[in-house]
Amino acid sequence: MSHAPRNRISNAIDSLITHLVPSNPNDDEQTAQERHDACFELVRTIFERPGSPSISADVNHASDLIKRKLIQSNPSQALRFSNLYTRLLSLPVLNQKWAILYLLYQLSDSPDPNEPPPAKSPAVPRGLTSREPSFRERERQDEVPREQRAPQEENFREPTSREPSFRESVAQRATVRSTVTVESKTSTPAPAPPPVSEEEAVNNVFAPGGLKKLPTERPGRNTTTEETRSQPGAGDGSTKKSARDVSIKSTLLADNSLEFEPSEMGLLRDLPFTLQGLSSTTLPFTKDTVLKLPPTLPLPIVSLLHTLAEPSLLYRGLANFVKSPAKGLLGQSLRAAINNELRSYLTLVATLEAQIRRALSSLDEAAPRGGIGKAGVTLKRCVVWTREATMGLRLMSLISEESYSKQGGQLISLIHGFSTSHGDPVVAAFAERLLADVTRPFYDILRRWIYDGELSDPHLEFFVREQNPNNEKQNEVKAKGQASVWNSKYEVVDAMVPSIMTADFAQKVFLIGKSLNFIRHSCGDSQWVDAYSKTSSKELKYGDTATLEKWIDDAYKTTMQRLMMLMNTRFRLFDHLQALKNYILLGQGDFIALLMESLAANLDRPAGAQYRHTLTAQLEHAIRGSNAQYDSDEVLRRLDARMLQLSHGDIGWDCFTLEYKIDAPVDVVVTEWGNRQYLKVFNFLWRIKRVEFALASTWRKCMTGARGVLQSNDEVVLQTWKSTRGTLAEMIHFVGQLQYYILFEVIESSWGELQKNIRKEDCTLDDLITAHTKYLTSITHKGLLGARRRQYHDLQKEAAALGRDASEVEDRNSYMVQLSLLLRNMLDYRDSVDGLYSWSVSDFTRRQEVDTASLLRKHRPNSDMENSVGGVDDPFFSGGIGDNIKSEFPVLQERLKQLGVSFRTRLQILLGDLAYQPDVDMRFLGVSMNFNDVYQPVRRKSAKAAAAGGGGTSNVGSNVGSNVSGQEKQGNVSNANVSFSASRA
Amino acid sequence: MADRTEKQAAAQQAVDILHEISTLLNCHLDRRTLSICISMIENGVNPEALAEVVKELRNEGQNMQLEAAAAAAGASSRRR
Repeated sequence: MSHAPRNRISNAIDSLITHLVPSNPNDDEQTAQERHDACFELVRTIFERPGSPSISADVNHASDLIKRKLIQSNPSQALRFSNLYTRLLSLPVLNQKWAILYLLYQLSDSPDPNEPPPAKSPAVPRGLTSREPSFRERERQDEVPREQRAPQEENFREPTSREPSFRESVAQRATVRSTVTVESKTSTPAPAPPPVSEEEAVNNVFAPGGLKKLPTERPGRNTTTEETRSQPGAGDGSTKKSARDVSIKSTLLADNSLEFEPSEMGLLRDLPFTLQGLSSTTLPFTKDTVLKLPPTLPLPIVSLLHTLAEPSLLYRGLANFVKSPAKGLLGQSLRAAINNELRSYLTLVATLEAQIRRALSSLDEAAPRGGIGKAGVTLKRCVVWTREATMGLRLMSLISEESYSKQGGQLISLIHGFSTSHGDPVVAAFAERLLADVTRPFYDILRRWIYDGELSDPHLEFFVREQNPNNEKQNEVKAKGQASVWNSKYEVVDAMVPSIMTADFAQKVFLIGKSLNFIRHSCGDSQWVDAYSKTSSKELKYGDTATLEKWIDDAYKTTMQRLMMLMNTRFRLFDHLQALKNYILLGQGDFIALLMESLAANLDRPAGAQYRHTLTAQLEHAIRGSNAQYDSDEVLRRLDARMLQLSHGDIGWDCFTLEYKIDAPVDVVVTEWGNRQYLKVFNFLWRIKRVEFALASTWRKCMTGARGVLQSNDEVVLQTWKSTRGTLAEMIHFVGQLQYYILFEVIESSWGELQKNIRKEDCTLDDLITAHTKYLTSITHKGLLGARRRQYHDLQKEAAALGRDASEVEDRNSYMVQLSLLLRNMLDYRDSVDGLYSWSVSDFTRRQEVDTASLLRKHRPNSDMENSVGGVDDPFFSGGIGDNIKSEFPVLQERLKQLGVSFRTRLQILLGDLAYQPDVDMRFLGVSMNFNDVYQPVRRKSAKAAAAGGGGTSNVGSNVGSNVSGQEKQGNVSNANVSFSASRA
Repeated sequence: MADRTEKQAAAQQAVDILHEISTLLNCHLDRRTLSICISMIENGVNPEALAEVVKELRNEGQNMQLEAAAAAAGASSRRR
């Protein structure tokens, strides 16, 4: 150094001290001077300390360091820094730009000097020097050895003298111990170096150069390397400073260069090939997954090469994966995406290679270690450069391995999982990028699906797929008759729904496609679908989820509206539902009444004697004669009367049914199952209607007859008629209530519900189907058709108690069976009443005849001589007839009484059951039937007890018998009731 | 003379740029310290050593302040 700069430096130091160390106002001049001098001394010692290496070789190094640091903390600042840096480079004034930058780098993130110092300032670790004790402290510790420093420094200034010892230590590096001993021997004058923890040692070897987190495989080995490598530095305890950097390292390495075979240059030359997965002479791939390192290398180099081998092997694996045949479209797109990434990796390798080439060509062969330290490209730096790429490769190889077992949506879920839930933002960003490419075929399928309604998914990768006809569950549904084109053509596979969309969203997508498909194929409106897909089809892409969702919502709305519109206008679904209610559920009263009237005579005949043409003719007649004629042809055309399958002994009433034919595509709403339910309800209602009709006609006969033929003087007969009329009125009341309940409480209210549901603004076909199914279920359930009276285990118990088989008990327990028994009972009763009527009529005629005869006898008393025999015979004859008729009367009387009682008993049991029904409406039916507490509802238990008590009396269906015997007790009550009903009637 | 002013302007610019970089890096260097450091480095001082020096001197300054504060506190308490 010349004299002038030395002076200038001292001046600068002075001003620096005064600037940075403020003078204490409390101190007098001398202390201030002393302090100043002490500082000056300190500064000098620091400056004169040796080991400050020349880093002139790394012109760009400092800026690299800064840039990397800024990228880590704040990328936008990094950009700003590069601008400033280029401006700085263009300035002519400074000669030591790198040094200044280096200084700034060293000072970066240092604590603000103007802030009050933390409590224990000297001991506080800070910034880069976190692990080191502060210089000052160490200075104090080294108080004594400081005197000895001069010779020691001299020792250090002649590295050649130390060279052999280093070599020696390298030779003996296999055992750490021996190295340490050698070290202590060679550097005897030096104080023992401050203890270096293993972790620190690793840091010292690898960290400062910018490689912050090298995977520390084989820490033992690294430590060994560290011991030998850091030895020269450790020779001088105070030089082992906080911020040890690559430049020091490279200088040290240059100074103590270690020759090995193959040389670092050779390795560098081959490295690009290795990184591309190609074998080279020094680094051959022995197998697909094995890279063989030359055995002659020293351990630190081996460790570096291990790190470099990772991307190489990963690349090889991935290249193989890319070449392997894909299972599906998404697999292909995954391979393409990975291929793209690999290409950019190869670009990196190419630039690396260019750097290596340039460095190698500018090598100064004479310099130690081949001058590689000055060229700026070392193995270590290559490790750093390939680090990020290695991360990417690692992730991709993970994905590629997992992708073998995954397919379609699962694959997307896998990658999406990385992009959303991985903690490392680099990995997340990488996965996101990959996802954009991988999802392309998925979105293509999605687009075809939601805009065309076609499933173009040859590899079964989409989450919607055509249903497997052999699916067991499907067959079950089909057997129930609930399957339709709408429900069973496609299905959603939950496992295949990728995590980029929610289940809700997937359902929506599924519905859109299904509706479009349905419109095109079942509704025959493919023009609209084509037009729609032409106008609204959009390119779907991964990324903007909000827009995508909006588009899909739009598509959803449009398709649903269109579908409902088609259903409503073209297929007149609502008209059909209305017609079903009017005709099948007997909503159209005048029509039904007319039909029944005109068919009654016909249906009384056996089922075999029914002919279709008569039925249809009567149906036609009923339509023409009622308001039904104003219904549209479309509806009436579908109405048909036919006979159910006959069984022996049936009469026309049992087999007759109305039918409403539903064809595609409305049959997705009114399914086969639905049709069956309608039919069931119709049959039930028809039967009630028939009973009502029969009772009404009998009642009419009785009423008209009471004014003429039925008049009698016989007290018993009058009494019988009176009680018969009472029971008849009870029955009419019962049927009326039942009909009112079913037609009004059940069907109308369910219908209202259905209307409300299907007239909603955003009603979809699915909603419609559900609403309709609910409608039918509630009708069949509440209409006493399906409701079970008790839990199954109760039935079992009862069955055991009664010694019957469970099915019989169960049958007996359903309301349906109870009601049909009641209805049959009423029909029997009505037959008996008819019998009584005819007996009364014949009795009346007989009496008339007797009257006439007596009148004649009176008128022609003379002529009885010829007829004396006849006259003698006549009373006998007529008496005989009278006896004959008289003998019929008690039988009829008995039968009527018995039927009336059994009707009443059954009704009471039914009421008892209804009273304990969970459904409010059904409970109310019981209440309205028994509004004035005429009947006493019987709990099943008591009936059972009665059955147990009187079980032996009757063997013709202990049911009826027991009820009769149980009824005995309430005989007087029932009599009162009868009189009440009669008077009411 | 013109040459000299030109040079000064260039130096000024250099200091500007470097100051900006130092703020980016949170160095907490004011312009004066920075220009002293620049001139030292231009005169061949090792940057690493200089960094160490700056840190040490700051430390020293803080210690001083601490001592002064302690002394002041002590004095005030004594006065009480």
